[in-house]
Amino acid sequence: MKYILMMTGTKADFDWYTKWPKKDLEAQFAFMHAFNKELKDSGAFVAAEGLAFPDQAKIVRAGKNGEPITDGVFPESKEFLAGYWIVDVESADEAYKIAARASAAPHPPRNGPGGTEDNQPIEVRQVMSGPPEELLR
Amino acid sequence: MKYILMMNSRKTGDEPLRGWSKQDFQAHCAFLMALNRELRESGEFVSTEGLAFPDQAKLVRAGKVGMPITDGVFPESKEFLASYCIVDVETPERAYAIAARGGARTRSYAA
Repeated sequence: MKYILMMTGTKADFDWYTKWPKKDLEAQFAFMHAFNKELKDSGAFVAAEGLAFPDQAKIVRAGKNGEPITDGVFPESKEFLAGYWIVDVESADEAYKIAARASAAPHPPRNGPGGTEDNQPIEVRQVMSGPPEELLR
Repeated sequence: MKYILMMNSRKTGDEPLRGWSKQDFQAHCAFLMALNRELRESGEFVSTEGLAFPDQAKLVRAGKVGMPITDGVFPESKEFLASYCIVDVETPERAYAIAARGGARTRSYAA
């Protein structure tokens, strides 16, 4: 079964990330690199992507004759997808264990020195293989 | 350049697809399959996935000894990713044009 592991953050979280010291960024990159390699070696790895920052995001709607109408203004509270992994595992519990490892990726204290050490929450959900067969007949 | 096109929904119990008639569902699937085929033929298709409904979602954190702590309770207002499509295109405008085509169909159902 395939599961998607999603890291999300608010605008404040992304602002915080831009202020990470270089050594913290390097520690995070090293962790992600080793983590992905391990997932690949175990055969659980399907895909992983990191997304551009939310200030690059556009909401797109179709206008009257189908042409795109773009909007780039979002509420401060909105959560944005920062990146994800897709893993192929035997059970949801396996996916949760992998998510917990990603959750414990190294990071500096939140909100600067003396801030909290909270681990990053990871949303986990099954990836569907396709629409239910009975609905396509 | 690769772009991700994301369709979000809220956990209302009335998410897109849920409660639709079989006819509407089939029309929606046929539209998406045709769009995916067109993107494959143009060489712009990278990947697409549909996710389980948000009531299946768990929020996972690492506990003290690295064990997963799961939580399934989310505020009603939270937006969830319903599906996404990654395309490889020359310009952001082309990505927006593809997004508008996908969005047009969704909006007609939302109306």
